[in-house]
Formats: sequence, structure tokens, C-alpha cells
Amino acid sequence: MSRWRSSVEEVAARQRQQGECQRGQEALSRVTSCFQQLAASLGSSADGSFLRDELEETRGLVERLSKGLSQRLVHLLTACDSAPSGVADRQVLERLWVHFLSSLESFLSDLRKTRYLIGRFPLSQQSDRRSLVNSGCVDGMVGVAARVAWAQTPWISLGEEQSPDLTNHIAGLESMLLELQLRVPVAFWSVEATQPAWAEPDGELEGRDHSLEELMEVEVASSSHGLHAPCCGLGCVG
Amino acid sequence: MTIRNTLQDYGQRFRPRMACLKKAEKVVLEMQDPRTGVKWQPQRLVITTIPHAITGEDIVAWLADRFQTGAEEAWSLGSMLVALGYIYPLQDHKRLVIRADTSLYRFQTPYFWPTQQWPVEDTDYAIFLAKRNIRKKGMLELHEQEQYNRLHKWMNHKWDFIVMQAKEQYRAAKERKKPDRVVFECQERAYWVVHRPPPGTVSAMDYGLDRRVDPNADEAKTPDFYQRIMIFTQQSIMRPRVKSSVSIGALVKYSATYSSHDPFLSKCLPSNPWLTDDVTYWTLNMPNVEIPTKMRVERWTFSFGELLSDPRGRNDFQLFLKKEFSGENLAFWESCEDLKWGTAATMREKAEQIYKTFLARGAPRWINIDGTTMEHTMKGLKHPHRYVLDAAQTHIYMLMKKDSYGRYMKSSVFKETLRKAVCPEEHNFSEAQLEQNTRNRRPSLSPIVLRQMEQEQKAKTAAAVDITQLCRFTTPVPHLAVYTGSSDFPASLPFLANSSTACPSPISVALDSVSACERRLEALEGDGEGPHAIAAASAAAAPPPAAHGNASKSGVGVSLRRLLRRSCTPSAVFASLSPKCPSAAGTGSRIQPMSPDQPSQAPPRRISNFFQIKVDIPPECRIYPIESEDEDEESRAVSRGAVGTKEIICPWESLAPQNGTG
Repeated sequence: MSRWRSSVEEVAARQRQQGECQRGQEALSRVTSCFQQLAASLGSSADGSFLRDELEETRGLVERLSKGLSQRLVHLLTACDSAPSGVADRQVLERLWVHFLSSLESFLSDLRKTRYLIGRFPLSQQSDRRSLVNSGCVDGMVGVAARVAWAQTPWISLGEEQSPDLTNHIAGLESMLLELQLRVPVAFWSVEATQPAWAEPDGELEGRDHSLEELMEVEVASSSHGLHAPCCGLGCVG
Repeated sequence: MTIRNTLQDYGQRFRPRMACLKKAEKVVLEMQDPRTGVKWQPQRLVITTIPHAITGEDIVAWLADRFQTGAEEAWSLGSMLVALGYIYPLQDHKRLVIRADTSLYRFQTPYFWPTQQWPVEDTDYAIFLAKRNIRKKGMLELHEQEQYNRLHKWMNHKWDFIVMQAKEQYRAAKERKKPDRVVFECQERAYWVVHRPPPGTVSAMDYGLDRRVDPNADEAKTPDFYQRIMIFTQQSIMRPRVKSSVSIGALVKYSATYSSHDPFLSKCLPSNPWLTDDVTYWTLNMPNVEIPTKMRVERWTFSFGELLSDPRGRNDFQLFLKKEFSGENLAFWESCEDLKWGTAATMREKAEQIYKTFLARGAPRWINIDGTTMEHTMKGLKHPHRYVLDAAQTHIYMLMKKDSYGRYMKSSVFKETLRKAVCPEEHNFSEAQLEQNTRNRRPSLSPIVLRQMEQEQKAKTAAAVDITQLCRFTTPVPHLAVYTGSSDFPASLPFLANSSTACPSPISVALDSVSACERRLEALEGDGEGPHAIAAASAAAAPPPAAHGNASKSGVGVSLRRLLRRSCTPSAVFASLSPKCPSAAGTGSRIQPMSPDQPSQAPPRRISNFFQIKVDIPPECRIYPIESEDEDEESRAVSRGAVGTKEIICPWESLAPQNGTG
């Protein structure tokens, strides 16, 4: 009886941990996407110390998230091996695992690019700003930064770990990826995706969302065009 | 997740350095300077204004000024910058060209600059397409849809990640201000136009093959490294040198000859398919087209090599040789090429086949090469390898070049071809027609299909030509009896088995009976001279290239070896040497006896049919190499002790009066 109860508790604990991992994964996705948005402005006219600080913070958050997630996922997957907990559970875990590793890989490539760009466009002196590329962006990225701040680790992290600097972070991430792939034997090609091929936008993505073409309509200001509607072929740009 | 290969294999995995990228980046950074760079203007859109838009003419003018070149050069440099993705057009974003007018462009953010260090990942492309799909609510372009489906199929395991990341990135992008959002989307779209070009365009980032060595890695200065450098310099010193006047003269001559045929230097008739997307030029110049173009025929007159390397020219030449009855030279040359370039597994059989058909005494398509070369080749054929027939092939090539080629140029065949050759009119396409051509582009036939067609063609010609290509001396004469014999066929000599039992080649089909060979051998042994059997020759010839020391107890083997030991090999059918001259017992002295310790007294058993061809050799025909005369003396001397003759009807016995002991 007690064994049954303990197994029920085990199952409950596992479910909770799985939920934690899933939320953690979502947070990781969010933060890595924000990181990409920030990194896209490196070296352009929107570059600045604010951007770089934001990048550092985001990177630290990703580090914490990834460390926690890796620990938990490895624990769950190895525990899953021992205890027979249903094929569905295992599948969910494997899916999560593949998702996690894919995000890490794409984040790693972003990191490499960031390191290269920061080395290429050091902003140590004022004169360096002259060589920044006029790409058309002048945003301070405040909104993105806010979004990053909003994302939290779903577990309570004990202790403030120092986030490593960029090079060590890259090296650490590479070794972690290698280690994870070796330690947990998951046949990732057997994982089936749950998302449909042609993903529909959710409700929240809808709204006042114009296509790029509409946004790129040129203001027809010249008198020669007269009173053409803004959607005429001559006026549309892009 | 992607599988990464962490093994140190020596495959080609490194992306070559594109030096133009570093240089282009420098130029682009110079253009940013607020004082000396390109002047920008704001782009006015309905919703907002976006700064940093530059006009095409400004770009071109700046480049012309910076590099002190003309407008055209500056324009092509600008096009390169756009094609590589450092600048993207704001209007007509799919065509990566620069127009020196007021059309607008913008600089690409360094995050999206092209780079050699990291390959462009399909995962990112999938995320981009998913984002685009979400944003445009399913209205992707056709090629994008195709790519999307393909990626979905191949990256199915990552699809959760891709869709989720797409949604997150979409949400993250929404956090930015409107103008920056527009800019970011333009940037991303431009990035993917460069790296995943729409159909009908080419990516400027195409760099060809991967390299085996990492070009970005520094080479360690180990002793090994210096050793390599030393060897390299030593070899450079040892290389033979040519006077520059000579080499330059050759270059000048080559350029003068070929400049009108070069599609870069002169017009390509009717039009260059790469420029106009019209494939008439390729259809007119297909490898085996009926009517070649005048330019092509002109090329054949430049050198013999040109004639041979063009399949149509080779066919024409073959036709000419057929008329002159010297087709065996070209056939031999082609078989040598086949041997050189063929698979290793087929080499043995090919070498043997070639020997039987062209080189052996009495071979049906015997070629005339000089004695030293023949000796060399025979020696080499004992252990055949890919290049064993090189000397003979070169000899024949020179023969054809010095002799037949000249005659071909003056022949009626060539004149006829030249007369019929077509000279197409030059195309003159309008802009609209060019666009239509681009749309009508179709892929060409798959190379697998082409190769199959080629092989069928070859088989057809091989089957049709061979018998008729026999020298007039070897054409079967109907009045001669056909020799038949028992069918005690030796299985140990593999090549014989091959030729007779397995798919016989067209030639060996005609050469079926071996008895004639044996019987003639007996007769010869008695005579010490006389005509020789093809079979014996081939059979005798076959042991050298065949397995050495094949312990065969068969009749053929024994008798052949006996013959070889006596160096009294029956010669080819053409036997005829003039009555005065002792028949060429032939190649015996050249072919080392296979196994000198074979019992010589084993009676020759009846061997199965090997050849059925019966020929009538006029005695006056001297086809053997001159040197063979010497051996005849020895062979005759050795030919005593031959086994008693059998009842053999040798047609030429009567034709060629015996000289030796009968």
C-alpha cells in the first residue's frame, strides 16, 4: 500500500517536474528570441552600451535557464529509464529534450555571431561610432528588454551564480551540448512533432497586424500622382 | 538537434575562403562615414519615416569616386555588393541588382552579413518561413511553400522547436517600434533572398566545392611542414624548362586559333544560353547530332586531338576509316581508352579481349605496330594493368594523326560534312522575349539517362560494326570448310571459357572453333611453317595475359604450352608470308613459355571448337612485323618431334608451299 502511495507520489512529482521543464523551455524560447532581436542590431546605428548591457543580461538569464533545464531534464530522462512510466510520458520528455537541444544549438550560433560582431565593432571610443552601419534602426530596444525581464525561471534558483563572459559561455555551452548528447541516449529522429505543418497564428498574434507590403507603402506625396489611392501599383514599395 | 561529425576524417568539410567578403566589408564600412560616406535620405512611408535610405546613383557615384574608375566598373562593383547582401534594394527586393537611378537601397545590418565561417542553417530558414507563414496567414510564394514542405519533412523531429521559436520571435519583434519592425523584416527578408535565392536566380554565395583543409586555420610550423616545403622547392628546381619565346609563341598561336571559338571573346551562335536562356546552342551542339555546326567542323581541322575528342568528329572519322578499311586503328585506340578509364574489375577481360582482337597474330582486326612496341606490350600483357597498352595506343594515335588524319581532311566524307554543316543565325531577343525565356527554362536530361543512352548507342554500333570491319584478308571465305571439333572444352583457362560460354563478344561469336587451331598446329609442327591458325594464335596468346601457371591439364593448354615452349607458335590467319620466306612461326620467341616444365609428350587431345572463321590468305600478303623472320629459323629447328599430324584440311597448305620439313 505504501509502495503504491509512494509510486503515486513519484508520478505526481514527475508530472510537476515535467511541467516545470515545459515552462522553463518556453521561457528559454522567449529569451533566446529576444536575444536574437537584440543581436540583430549589433554593429548598426542602434548599437550602444544599452544594447550591449541588455545582451549581457539576457545571456545570463539564458545561462541560468539552460543550466537548470539541463539538470532537470537529464534527471527526468535517466529516472524515466529506471521507472516504467508510460510511453506517452517518455515521448513528451524526449520531445522536450529535442526541443531543448535545438534551442541551445541555435542560441550557440547566435552567441558566436555576437562574439564576432562585438569584436568587429568595439565601442570603446567615440570615433568607433562612425563606422557603425546605417541600417535604419534607431530603437533603444526598450520593449524587447522589457520582454526579457518579464521572463522568469520557473523554479527557485538558489544562489546568485555569476554568468560567465562571452568566450567562456560559448565554450561551456559547446561542451555541455556534447556532454548532453553523449549522456542521454535519445534517438532524436524518432521524435514526432505535435505542431501542425502549417502553423496558424494564435489569437494573440492577430490583431492590427499588417503585412510587410502594406507597411512599406510609400506616401504618395508628389503632385504628379494626384489623388491616387495608396494601394496603386505605382505607389507601393516592396 | 543536428548530428555533428566530430571525427577527424580527411573529407572535404571546410568552406573555402571568399576573399571578396572581407574586402566588401571594408568598402561598406567606408561608406558609413558621416562625412565622406554615402549620403542618405529618409524613406517616407505611409506610417512613418525610416532613415538611412540611399539611392542607387549615389552608391555608384561614390564607388566611382572612391576607386577612381568609370561608371560601368562602379556599377558592377555595386551590383556585387547587392548580390552578396551588404546592400539590399527597397523596391523589387527579389532582384539583387543595382540601378543607377533614384531607386532606394539600404545597408544590411552586420548580423545578417554573409560570412564564410558559419554555414547558413536550414533550421533558421525553416523558422523564417514559419514566421512568414504566420504573418502572411498562409500566403507564401510557391518556391517558399515547396521549401517549407521539404523542411517539414526532413526536420520533423525539430518541428516543435521551429514553430515555437517562430512564434516567440514574432512576438519579440512586435515589441519593437513600428519603423524598426519594418526595417528588421526587410533585413531578414533580404538575407534570405541572398542565401535561399528564388528559382531562376543564382546566389552570389555559391562557392563551389568544399575544401579539404581549413583555409582559416594557421599551419603549424612543424618539421614536417618544413620538410614539405623542401620537397616542393626541390621539385620546382628539377622541373624541365622551356624558353619563354617558345611557350609564349605556343600561347599566342593557341589564342589566335581559338579566339573566334571562345564564347567570351567572340559571339556564340546563335546565342549564349547563359545570357539569353535560349538553349538552341546546346541542342545544335549535342554530342551526336546529325548535322554539326560550321564552327564545330572548323574545330576538327585544328588538330587531331580536337577531332577525336568531339564525338561527332570521331564518328565522321570512323566513317572515313571504314571506307579506307583501316577502322581497326581507331577501334584499337578506343578500346585502349576504354581500358584506361574503365572499372578495375573489367580490366583483365578488356585487356584480353583487346589482345585477342587487335594484337595477337591472326587477330581479326590486327593493327600494325612496330616490333619494339609490340614486344613491350606483350611483356606487359602478362600482368595487365590500366596503362599496359599505352605505348601501342600512342603509336597508333601517331599513325592515325600523321597518315589518316591528313587524308581525312582531303576526303569526300569530310567535304560532305563540311558542306552540310549548318551556320545558325544570331538571335536578337527583346527584353520581353528574354523574360519569357527565363520563365520557360527547363532542366536538361539527367546525366544518368544520358549515360544510358550513350551506352545503348555504343552497344548498337559495336554489334553492327565489328564483323564488317574485318580486314579483307580475314573476311570469311565461303568455299572453305568449316572446322569443327570435339567439345572437350577446357574450363581452366578462364578467358577461353569466358569468350565462348559467357556472353561472347561479337568477334568471338565468329571465332568459335578451336580445333582448326589445334589441327593446324599439328600440321605446322610437321611443317615448321605454313599458315597459322587464328585460334592457336589467340589461344597461345591468351596464356600470357591469363593466369600464370594455371595448371591446366586440358588439351588446349598442354598443346599451347608445348607450342610456346617450342616457340613455334602458329601465326595468324594471314599467314602468308611469301613462299620464299619461312612462315612466321611467330610470336613464340616473344612470349615466354608459360610453364617450361610441362610434359611435352602428352598427346594433343581434341579441343573444342574455338574458331569458325576460315580465311583465305593470299600468300603475298606480308603483314607480320619484319623481325619475325629471325625466329622462324629457330622455330623450324625446334619443331621436330611434333606429334604426328592429323587429318586436317588446311586451305592454305596448298596455297603456301612448304619450306621446311613437311
